[in-house]
Amino acid sequence: MHPLTFAASLASLSSWWSAQSENFYICFVKNDRWQYITNGLWRTLEVALCAVVLGAILGFLVAVVRSTHDKHGRFGFLNAIAKIYITVIRGTPMTVQLLIAYFIVFSNLNDKVLVAILAFGFNSGAYVAEIIRAGITSIDDGQMEAARSLGLSYTQGMCRVVLPQAIRNILPALGNEFIVMLKDTSIASFIGLDDLARGGSIIRSQTYQAYIPFLAVAAIYLVMVMIFSKLLARLERHLRRTGGK
Amino acid sequence: MTTPAQAKSDPFLSDRPVVAPGRPLLEVENLHKSFGSLHVLRGITTTIRKGEVVVVIGPSGGGKSTFLRCLNLLEVPTSGRIWFGGEEIVSGGSLRRDGTDANLSHRERERNLNRYRSDMGMVFQRFNLFPHMTVIDNVTMAPRMVRRVSADAARRKAMELLDRVGLPDKANAYPQQLSGGQMQRIAIARALAMEPRVMLFDEPTSALDPEMVGEVLAVMKELAANHMTMVVVTHEMNFARDVADRILFLEGGNILEEGTPTELFGSPKNARTRDFLGKVKN
Repeated sequence: MHPLTFAASLASLSSWWSAQSENFYICFVKNDRWQYITNGLWRTLEVALCAVVLGAILGFLVAVVRSTHDKHGRFGFLNAIAKIYITVIRGTPMTVQLLIAYFIVFSNLNDKVLVAILAFGFNSGAYVAEIIRAGITSIDDGQMEAARSLGLSYTQGMCRVVLPQAIRNILPALGNEFIVMLKDTSIASFIGLDDLARGGSIIRSQTYQAYIPFLAVAAIYLVMVMIFSKLLARLERHLRRTGGK
Repeated sequence: MTTPAQAKSDPFLSDRPVVAPGRPLLEVENLHKSFGSLHVLRGITTTIRKGEVVVVIGPSGGGKSTFLRCLNLLEVPTSGRIWFGGEEIVSGGSLRRDGTDANLSHRERERNLNRYRSDMGMVFQRFNLFPHMTVIDNVTMAPRMVRRVSADAARRKAMELLDRVGLPDKANAYPQQLSGGQMQRIAIARALAMEPRVMLFDEPTSALDPEMVGEVLAVMKELAANHMTMVVVTHEMNFARDVADRILFLEGGNILEEGTPTELFGSPKNARTRDFLGKVKN
């Protein structure tokens, strides 16, 4: 390579680099814009964690109603409601559910965070219910029979024998559901919630810079998902070591 | 029936019906069971006395397992009556889905059902050990949850039983670390931990590799020698011959013949029995 070409490309690289650091400064440092990202991140985590807890509780209750109905024919009315709930939630887009929750169902609730938690929680509950139900169905009937033959009640057999095994089997699917939800909360900007994705959006609208804010936001989501996947894998390994299938 | 105070002092004897004197432990009268249009049991009548070992033999699909599963109401009889310790647990006229008296509330029926079952040990063809628990937890769970035995007492009793089935060193193993024969011996110990008044065995050796059949049969023989009341569905004719007090030959949902091993193996009266025994002899 000719020394002059080399010097020229070095110069262009260094000018590109200084332009990028200037952009970085504008996007994150100037006017403390980094706070849009950090505040958004906490909002996102807050909504996702609360929604996953709500979804797990709802999903668990719905799953127990559904499988008890399938096995014993009890809870006919509750089962019908559960079926409608699952069909409606799984049959409509999350964005539409969020808009309906914000503008119709909870229209007199002023708290956007709470509305988002409720909408995402109810959405997640339907999916978690089907995951848990599949987990319960996957446990051999002989397990419940053995529990009942020892004199345990249906509830005792469920809590001590069937559910612990079912939950172990469905843990990967539940973890996946949380990951999907963590990413899905980014649509909360539709109702103007200041989450992580909206943080990037606000910075873009103020600085006319798209690359850096959105790539940074994507990287943060990616890192969160990777950390969570790692934790989940570790938990699965731990459960495998302490017995089970 | 004992009072709650007594139950506390002797958990293994709590809440148990007392056998009416002079009555057999189990009485079955005209038991029918259908699955949809399939009529599996067509009127079984028999009695099982305390300490008796009854072996049920017969061709596959003849209703042997269904009969056994009806005894502790894992299957709900379609009609018929069953008395356990003189107490009627199934009465044909007022049967509910779970086989108990329609006049009782759901809660009362469930409680009765759990009580009958806790007094009948069941051993399954496929063991059905709880894979997420250690062997000792498998054995102690039901006494602790159902009989409210203390952790210590349950553990002592469990170790005794593991000793009895020859597996005291497996207490902290998980079921999947055991062989089939070992799992079935643990399953027997688990059922015995409830101190049942009768043990029901549903083809306990059918899922085992041939070299493991002997160790399970040995445990069952030891039980029989100690006067445990047993109802055993099996294809092990040698066990039937050696251990049974009485053999029932079940085919097409009926008891075609019953008698002592000498009677049944020596001079079967029914042509179907002769035919079946001729086929299984080798």
